Amino acid sequence: MMYEHFDNTVKGIKDKLSQDPSGINARKKYVLELSRLGRKLYTKNETIAWCGVTAPFDLLSSMGVTSCFVEFVGAMLASTQTAGFFFEDAEDAGFATDSCAYHRAVMGAVLKNAMPEPDFIIGTSSPCTAGLAVMENFANQYKKDFFILNVPQNYSKDAIRFLSNQIEELTHFVSAHTKEPLSKEKLGMALENFNQSSKLLRDIYDLAKTKPSPVDNRLLRDFGVVMTLLMGTREGIDICQAFKDELNQRIKTSRHHASKEKTRLMWIQNRIQYPFPMDKMLDDLGAKIVIDELNTVTWEPMDPDNPFESIAKRMISIPFSMDTSKRIKNMQTLALDYQIDGAINPCHWGCRQGTGARGLVSKGMRDIDIPVLNLEIDCVDSRNLARGQIETRVEAFMEMLS
Amino acid sequence: MIFLGIDIGSLSCDAVLIDENKNILSSSVIPTGVKNIESIAKVKKNVLDAAGVMEKDILSIVSTGYGRNRVKERDRAVTEITCHAKGIKHMIPDTRILIDIGGQDSKAMLLDPDGNVVDFAMNDKCAAGTGRFLEAMARALEVDINQLGDLDKGATSDLVLSSMCTVFAESEVVSLIASGTEQKEIAKGLNRAIAARTNSLVKRIAKNTRDLAVSMSGGVARNRGVVKAIAESMNLERVNTPKLPDIVGALGAAIIGLEKRR
Ligand code: SF4
Repeated sequence: MMYEHFDNTVKGIKDKLSQDPSGINARKKYVLELSRLGRKLYTKNETIAWCGVTAPFDLLSSMGVTSCFVEFVGAMLASTQTAGFFFEDAEDAGFATDSCAYHRAVMGAVLKNAMPEPDFIIGTSSPCTAGLAVMENFANQYKKDFFILNVPQNYSKDAIRFLSNQIEELTHFVSAHTKEPLSKEKLGMALENFNQSSKLLRDIYDLAKTKPSPVDNRLLRDFGVVMTLLMGTREGIDICQAFKDELNQRIKTSRHHASKEKTRLMWIQNRIQYPFPMDKMLDDLGAKIVIDELNTVTWEPMDPDNPFESIAKRMISIPFSMDTSKRIKNMQTLALDYQIDGAINPCHWGCRQGTGARGLVSKGMRDIDIPVLNLEIDCVDSRNLARGQIETRVEAFMEMLS
Repeated sequence: MIFLGIDIGSLSCDAVLIDENKNILSSSVIPTGVKNIESIAKVKKNVLDAAGVMEKDILSIVSTGYGRNRVKERDRAVTEITCHAKGIKHMIPDTRILIDIGGQDSKAMLLDPDGNVVDFAMNDKCAAGTGRFLEAMARALEVDINQLGDLDKGATSDLVLSSMCTVFAESEVVSLIASGTEQKEIAKGLNRAIAARTNSLVKRIAKNTRDLAVSMSGGVARNRGVVKAIAESMNLERVNTPKLPDIVGALGAAIIGLEKRR
């Protein structure tokens, strides 16, 4: 089912591309590469690793491993409206109904044997340890080896060394499965690609800061998190370049709907994954999400001669890996840089980062005079959607800001 | 010049007609029922008849409430949060915190001295403590919903209902009755539970409420027991309630129509 979904998307975009190469925008190119990755994950004879969100995908791809974070599948199942089927299986097996639905969907898919069988599994303690429990279940179900990367929450010399040693150990773990040693050259190339992509990402985010912003409510949704899957590759660089060109073009041609930017917003954490017309609703209200919390580059260029330490520094620097106060500091900086009027926190059900930090995030933003709308919505399980209430909250928030 | 505000809630459908000086010409509150289009037509007719005016005299119609987009003839739809704030500012001008407990949700709003909403919070996940919850509890206590407000008179125990889930609370009430607990004590326990929940909603928008005038709107504001319990739980001498708490939203909607015309 998922293979067909990805395959059809790849074929559809390639068809359009062959008819009119200039008619394909950056977002389509991005979807094309993600669908290619999705298709590979569901293809036999690939070396597959299912991972946690902050795993070093560039390192894995340099070692010939096709890898992805499991929450990506949760989001895909929600967006294709097939997740309900899997939630029920997970819940029947005793998985708590109020746990994070990204994981519940994945757990259901694991139980139904609908996840491609991995060669091994790599869990990360960041952004949440709930994911680790799912990965452990996953490993048990398929009887696969399970490696855990414990990502420290503080940026210190000891923490960097601690993680860097684990990353080196990870390369031995992967080699033991692929029977291929780590190629320093290939890893160096992947890091160079990641560096180039990061530089372009910084440019993209700088362009998004323009007033009025050239982005629209859809363009960069969940971009920062998902792009890490591709940033160590040539294709990743091409996608970033395409986004940068498109934003420049929009600014040049004034295609930025200035009239639709009565309100500039920040979206905290992940977006809603199932079909729900939030983007349109915001459009109609003249509001624009100019920044998603996770669309930020917090790491320095990596040194290919010192790869493990460089990757460790990058992983720890991600605000999601840090404690809440540092995460809030990052949000405050973004709020000021992007000159936002308000922020929307979905407070995704069952999420430590989303619901757990709700009060602290609101207070942190209030400290810099930015109002926050707490949606309290399940971003993945549409069965929990109280549509009328969400609409009222969003509209009332916009009325309040105006 | 006449302005109409209509508030279509989950339980009641309310309408208010005002003149250009914000005087209320007429108002009507009817059950929304399942056919809300018919209820809208009926409540509109009620206020027109009561004021003795014709539809063509209406200069603007503003709708609010969860069914606000169902009013076809509206000039604009505005959320109940903004409308309640506007309505209470007219009825109780010094209000800084407004609690609105409606049929299926409860809201707390923080207003600035001019009556603008600066923050708000709504109940999450379920309808515990709202009008529907009270309806179910009245059923369990075998009293009319209108009697519930005074039922706690003379209660002395410090009983608090432990569950706020409508289903569990209903069975808790039934077992309290079975164990011989007096109706007034149960009613008091219910009110305390709602008050605790409301207080926590208010705390989300204002940590310190000591110097802020608190008012309440919505049908539940007619329930004296709940209002008193909320005041006690917030350590306040009183929570203000307007004479006609059900029409605050519709009044606010009508005033917004008037102000937009200006
Ligand atoms: S949404 Fe929250 S609980 Fe779910 S995977 Fe992300 S961080 Fe973990």
